[in-house]
Amino acid sequence: MTPPLDDGDLRAMLLTALGTEHAAIWVYGLVSAFLPASAATGLAAASLAHRERRDAVVALLARDGIAAPPAAAAYRPPSPVTDAASAAGLAAVAEDDVAAAWRAVAERTEAATGGELRRLALEAVTAAATVSVTWRGLAGRTPLVAPFPGDGSET
Amino acid sequence: MLRGAGALAGLVAAGSLAAGCARPEGPDPLEEPLAAARDDAVSAAAAAAAHPELASRLTPLSRARRAHADALAAEIRRARPDRTATVDAAAGATPAPARPAESAAAAVTALRRSLGTARDGAGALALAAEPSRCGLLTSVAASCAGYVTVLG
Repeated sequence: MTPPLDDGDLRAMLLTALGTEHAAIWVYGLVSAFLPASAATGLAAASLAHRERRDAVVALLARDGIAAPPAAAAYRPPSPVTDAASAAGLAAVAEDDVAAAWRAVAERTEAATGGELRRLALEAVTAAATVSVTWRGLAGRTPLVAPFPGDGSET
Repeated sequence: MLRGAGALAGLVAAGSLAAGCARPEGPDPLEEPLAAARDDAVSAAAAAAAHPELASRLTPLSRARRAHADALAAEIRRARPDRTATVDAAAGATPAPARPAESAAAAVTALRRSLGTARDGAGALALAAEPSRCGLLTSVAASCAGYVTVLG
């Protein structure tokens, strides 16, 4: 049975997914000051989930002898964060990116060899869709849930 | 219903012989999430009509479940042409009558339960599916999970 990460395409997508987890962790640090106190618990839980998934990916890569690239020092938000709505909008974009990267990982796995990655991907896309309900609501974005989270349509 | 299913099973077997290759038989595993998506789309639309105060939450939900149904049906038609007739016949079937008498709260509770089941079902299928289906099923499970939160 071939270790799934011997597939260069899958390995590249997993590294992309790791990059989106790094970015999401950075985004949650940035937006926390702008979001209402009522969002604090959800934000902390979402941030923790991204850190845990990041650590899981780093461990998984290390097991195959692959060094995980570190996070960037900073990321460039697509639009400035100035208030709760723009902060929530950025959090929603970060979650969209996470969902898209992980769905792409899922699509490159075989059921027989990629079970661990598929479970991580399912958790990641599910968590992104779930937590995005709050961020989309605060950002005034509809619908609150994308029909196909991670498919790249960004709706 | 039963007679129709039997006739289709016969067609599947004939198709396998004619094609001379090992085609899968029996229902496509996506038929279950397809039926669930269609049911939810109808139930959510009916509940939104009966309880206008729910429409802002249930109309997008109904649209999403309709989109899930369309995508799942398209994938079944692509992978299993032998199941196209079954899938299309089920689409035209009269949906189970909505429960107009039920309260708004009961409608939301029933939909939330149904979406939780759909989330778990699509998620389990995603883990077992071929790669080309894994992405779609992952997204459907995630979308259902999101709507469970919306209705929470």
